[in-house]
Amino acid sequence: MKTIFIDLFGKPEGIVIFQLLAATRFTVYLSLISFIGGAFLAAILAYFSIKKNSSLRKIATFYIWLFQSTPLLMLLFIFGLGFPRMLALEVNIWFAAGGALILYASAYIGEVWRGAIESVSQNQWEAGRAVGLNFFSTFRLIVLPQAFKISIAPTVGFMVQIIKGTSLAYIIGFSDLMYIGKRWANAPVNGTEPYIVFPIMALIYFSLCFPLSKFSNFLEKKLQQ
Amino acid sequence: MQNIEFRFYEIYRSEEFLLLLLKGMFVSLWLTIGAAIFGFVFANLLAVSRLNKIPIFGILSAAFVEFTRNTPLIVQLFFIAFGLPLLLGYQWPFWSHALLALSLNFSAYFAEILRAGFEDVHKSQIEAAKSLGLPKMLIFVKIIFPQALCMVYPALNSQFIFLFLTTGIISEIGVKELTQAGVYIDSRTFRSFEVFFTLTILYIFLSLMLKTALKFIYNRIFFWAKFR
Repeated sequence: MKTIFIDLFGKPEGIVIFQLLAATRFTVYLSLISFIGGAFLAAILAYFSIKKNSSLRKIATFYIWLFQSTPLLMLLFIFGLGFPRMLALEVNIWFAAGGALILYASAYIGEVWRGAIESVSQNQWEAGRAVGLNFFSTFRLIVLPQAFKISIAPTVGFMVQIIKGTSLAYIIGFSDLMYIGKRWANAPVNGTEPYIVFPIMALIYFSLCFPLSKFSNFLEKKLQQ
Repeated sequence: MQNIEFRFYEIYRSEEFLLLLLKGMFVSLWLTIGAAIFGFVFANLLAVSRLNKIPIFGILSAAFVEFTRNTPLIVQLFFIAFGLPLLLGYQWPFWSHALLALSLNFSAYFAEILRAGFEDVHKSQIEAAKSLGLPKMLIFVKIIFPQALCMVYPALNSQFIFLFLTTGIISEIGVKELTQAGVYIDSRTFRSFEVFFTLTILYIFLSLMLKTALKFIYNRIFFWAKFR
């Protein structure tokens, strides 16, 4: 595998590109973990905020506000440096990076889903009750499909933000694409200057993110009709 | 398990650290605001050239916006701060690299919002202006731009706050802003949780302040929006 890249791109660049692509794996894993974990928490948040004037709703609103106003970098520092030093224990880097990104993702996805559920008109709930469905069935059969349609495009769009967000995890030592790339850029090797390595990294990130944002735009246009 | 204690006093009892945080807050604020202003101006050029399909510039601005929006800020920042000076052989202070990178990054996000705003201005408004014989430039400046800006102001606003919260990474190239101050204090005291908790609160405080200021500006500029 490595030799193919060396044959294609020459000596230092081939190795760099091979290593960057290998490290992209961890960027993708971390993004998936953050998205799935964030979506799970977001579902709970959205469920909390269905009932108006409940204290659960207030908790969800506060949670979303708090983690939307906290910079991702601070979350990473608190998870990666703050908790381990405070509790004086070793925290696995996947837990630290994953935990911070999950909290970050959950607030934004939760906001999208909550907004989608709220934008389904109150009449739909009442109509559901009128035909004899209970609360849960009304939610599952009537409100959820409509809310899903509204929220799918912004949710896919937010995945781009998560992928870009994982690039910060290198600060606490998570060895993803960013980490390996930065190490190569700092290495005193001819052919791995910053102006060569960073554009390659940008291209890799772009090829991860661009299809997703195009897909999000496509969904938005398609479901608007 | 040892008992956990919080030592926030290590931060607020030290005059040096407090001064550092205060200075960091100022640097963060002015870099963000400066980048937002430059970014806004550039975003208008991008949006207009893309909408009017000006040859070459239209495609270039579309490519720039898509590329910037789909790559992490930190890669752009490192390329601008470390790549370009080496390639072109110039030396600038750290903060100017940060300002350039942030301005370009902001402009791409703003351009996308502004483009939607320009598209949404009602056709009848433009036709009315044309029938009054206004030249094309004046139609844009007097009719399209104010209405579009008024419509997209809330979106620009929240995008700006979102981008402000990502500016912490310019500490990575050595700009002495808020996050850098935090990292320095952390390296001196080793009270990481307390330091970054304080920093989080400062960031929330700053973003609330910016939100209030933007709302004030909105009420000042778009007082006519109520009468429409």
